[in-house]
Parts: sequence; C-alpha cells; structure tokens
Amino acid sequence: MATATAGNTGRGVDTGAGQRPAILERIAASDRRHRTSFRVQFALVWIVLIGLLGVAMVATNNVQTDWIAEWGPYILGGTRETIFICVVSIVLATVLAIVGAIARLSRNPVINGVAALYVSLVRGTPLLVQIFFIYFALPQFGIVLPALAAGILALGFNYGAYMTEIFRAGIQAVPRGQREAAEALGMPERLVMRRIVLPQAFRIVIPAIGNDFVAMIKDSALVSTISVTELLWRASKAGTQDFRTLQALIIAATIYWLLTIVFSFFQERLERRMAEGDR
Amino acid sequence: MIKHTRSTLALAGMLVLMSACSAGVPNLVCVGASTTYLDWLEGTLALSEADPIEAPANPGDPADLLAIVQERGKLIISTDADYAPQSYLNPDGTFEGFDIDVGKEIADRLGVDAEFSAQNWDTITAGSWAGRWDISVGSMTISEDRKPIVSFTQPYYYTPAQMAAATSADITTLDQMPDPLAATTLATDANCAEAIRDGRTDFVFWLSSSTTVKEAIDSGIPIVTVGEPVFGEALSVAIDKSGPPHGELLYEIDRIIGEMHDDGTLTQLSNTWFGIDLTQAPPAE
Repeated sequence: MATATAGNTGRGVDTGAGQRPAILERIAASDRRHRTSFRVQFALVWIVLIGLLGVAMVATNNVQTDWIAEWGPYILGGTRETIFICVVSIVLATVLAIVGAIARLSRNPVINGVAALYVSLVRGTPLLVQIFFIYFALPQFGIVLPALAAGILALGFNYGAYMTEIFRAGIQAVPRGQREAAEALGMPERLVMRRIVLPQAFRIVIPAIGNDFVAMIKDSALVSTISVTELLWRASKAGTQDFRTLQALIIAATIYWLLTIVFSFFQERLERRMAEGDR
Repeated sequence: MIKHTRSTLALAGMLVLMSACSAGVPNLVCVGASTTYLDWLEGTLALSEADPIEAPANPGDPADLLAIVQERGKLIISTDADYAPQSYLNPDGTFEGFDIDVGKEIADRLGVDAEFSAQNWDTITAGSWAGRWDISVGSMTISEDRKPIVSFTQPYYYTPAQMAAATSADITTLDQMPDPLAATTLATDANCAEAIRDGRTDFVFWLSSSTTVKEAIDSGIPIVTVGEPVFGEALSVAIDKSGPPHGELLYEIDRIIGEMHDDGTLTQLSNTWFGIDLTQAPPAE
C-alpha cells in the first residue's frame, strides 16, 4: 500500500485552468503524508535492525572498543589500496572489454575465436583460481609479478571478460541507421566504428561499468589471499594475531558496506543522467 | 498412521545416537595451517636434523644468492604476520617479534638492510618463491618432507609442541585424551583457539607450539595445557631450492646463526620475547 503511493507523484491529473479543486488538494496532501510516513518507517526499520545487530554483537562480549580504536585506522588505511586496485582494474577491464567486444563482432574467425575463448575461459573459471594462477603459475613461465600487479591483472582480466559481453550488447544497441548513414557519407569502416558507433555504445554501457566497479570493490577482497595488503588482508592479519577475528571482520565488513553505498549513490546518479540524455 | 510412528521412531533413534556421541569428548584435535602438527597427529611426521652445510667450493660466485643480496644491499625476508610473539603486525603496519628481530640481526651481520615481505605460511612452505623474497626466518620446522623443497640452516631455536584443551573439557593429562586422535584443520593456529572460545564444540583439543598456546592463554582464551609437550621441533632459516644457487648465502647465514648462539644474542632475544630460553637443543630422548 505504502509503496504504491510512494511511487505516485500525482502527475497526469488534469488541473484544468490552474484552479485546483479542494478534493485534488486533499489527495495531494494525503499523498505527501503517505510518502513521509513511508520514509519514516523505512528509516526506522533500518535503525532498529542495525541497532539490534549491534546489540547482538556486543552481547557476545567479544567486541572490544579499545581494540577497534587501536586497529581501526590501520585497517581503514587498506581502503586506499582497495580503491586503487579497483580503479586500475576497471580501467584495464574496460580496455580489454572494448577490444574483446570489437573482436567478438569481427567476421574474422581467428580474431573472433580468440576473443570467444578468452570470454569462455575467464567466465568459466573461478576468480580465485585466476588470481592464484597469475601469482603462482606465471613464474613457472618466467613471468614474476609482484602481488599487487598480479591482483590487478587478475581482476582486470576477469572483469574484462564479463564486460566484453556488455560492450558487445552496447555496440549492437546502436541503431543500425547510424552506421548506414555514416557509410553512406563514405566513411571507412574503422572510422565509423571509432567516431560513430563506439562513442554511442560507450554512453549505453557507462552505467554498467559503474555497476561492475561496485561489484569489484567486494571481489577485490580475494586478492588478500596473495598477501596484497588491502582492506581484508589487514583486517584478517590484525584480527588473527590478537584472537580478535570477529572485531576485525566487523570493521572490514562495515567499510566495504559504506564504500558500496557511496559508490552506488554515484553510480545511480550517473545512470539517471545518462538516461536523461537519451530523451 | 504407520508412517507417522515410523518417523517418530527414527527421530528417537537419532536422538539416542546424538546423545551417545556427545557423551564422550570428541577426539578431534584442531591444528592450523602447519603441516607439522597435522603430520604428527596422522603419525607421518618425520622430524629431521639440518643437513651439514659445506663451505662453498668457489667463494665469490656472482650468480649466488649472496652476491645478488649484496648487490641489492637488501635481504628480503618472508614472514607470516599473524604468529605472535614470533611475528605480528603493529597498528602502524610494521612487523615485530622474535623472528623479525632474528631476521634483522642476520641482515645486519650480512652488512645489508632487512626488508620483510608478508606471505601466507603455506605459500612459504610450498617453495617456488620465484625470487620474490630471499629467505624465510619464520620458525620453520626441519622435516624430511620439506628438505627437497628448501635448504635449512642449523636451528636458531626450538619450540615444544604443546597439546591444549578447552577448560570446560576438564582434561589436563595426555592419558585422559581419547585414543585414537584425529585432526581437523583451520586456516591458522589462532583460529583454533578462537573457535574454542567462541563455543564451537566439535573439537576441544588444539595442538600448537608452546609459545602460541601461552599467547592464547595470556589473552584470555579459556584453554589449559594438557600434559608435557608431545614433541620438540627444531626451527630454522630456510632458502628455496628452486631459486638461484644459494650455497654461499646458506653457509654465511648458518655461520651467523652459530655466532648468534655463541655470543648469547639468540638467548637474549628468546628471553625478551618468550620469557624463557628456547635456543638450546632439548636432550635427545
């Protein structure tokens, strides 16, 4: 009931010559009341549930605020590494995805085959295995990467494969008429792709990149397994050595949660702006 | 109706079975990632002594790890930073502990700087370090299984392996323990202690080094030591065998450790960190 009214903005009611009859005023007022009440109840649910969660944790007698105060700053410092890893990885993934998408649309069987194998191989194996492979197995072929580089490469490589399919869909979503018009003007095929199709495709997929970035913030925790000193690594080491794993994980989880809330907020705004431009 | 009775019977049977199981103490012993304790529980532990180290035939080999380290001016030492009081993190991100101090002293006597590289314990013991770090000063037990993978120096100290039990189990001697024992593993030694504290009841025993058990008791984990230590481990500096030739570096570090034994440096560090001198070889049984 509340959801239905919350979404109803009262648009579409014909107000005629601008004279709003009293009944319409009352409907609008009731609407506002419903919306406010919905929001208040929504916020209350969050406050109560988070409060209960906090009380439950404190009740275990395992939460020590002095320990959290001592280690909080060090663990929080891992946010820098986590964000850095995600930003570099998403850039790498975007580049791989553009190349991959163009290759997947290619009529050349070799190029198309290589790209299809990349997507299939990466999407068909766990990210954790890929991280281990790049860190532990590549040295057998003479390629020794530092942990941070290995982690970034693995994340970029993995997300690049998933984003290849998104980008391919983005390129295909550009109306055929655009390409035909450019060709009719005598533009060579490559120029059509670079100047006409890709910029429009990019617009379409930008919200998806933002979405993947938020997902990557969480997946980046996996690189702690190769001792990259990011958020989870710091939390688990600090927690283990002092027999305080629970506190440490609570701190890490809270930071990850806040990070995703912040970036989701920007991502949603970006998505809305992109959608507006389409009208 | 018959169906109903049958399922009630089955339920009753299960309850009897469950209570029978919980009557005795489970025979599971929790161990961390250490293969040493796991092997001991499974009866396959082959402790061994360090092989004698010969003086390098042609000193000054530029391909030797020693030359590489000296050229770099820095000795990179791996450490697993969740093993207090041997190696642990400070809130400013630096490392501290007995192993860290020993590592710094070795680098110092080699005339180079020490740099520590945090690695997971199983990554270190697996070998194939790919040149990411030079040596492990990480309380590694000398065992037959590890000899094909890493070269060991002479031991720099010895820890007794100590059995511990949850206080609630009311077991304080080894002969009160169930026989045979079985192993269950968690990621780290500390996780075993935490699991007992946090009320897990699928195991009540924990096997770890006496130093780690003491650290856990000191931080308020409700456990007690069970009997005398079950075996002693000789702990050494290790160098990956899959890396560059390291005969000279091994010889040098072995010599330095001998020196640190003789001049009392190791005894002093052991007293500082463990409150007891663990640097003397236990009498042979």
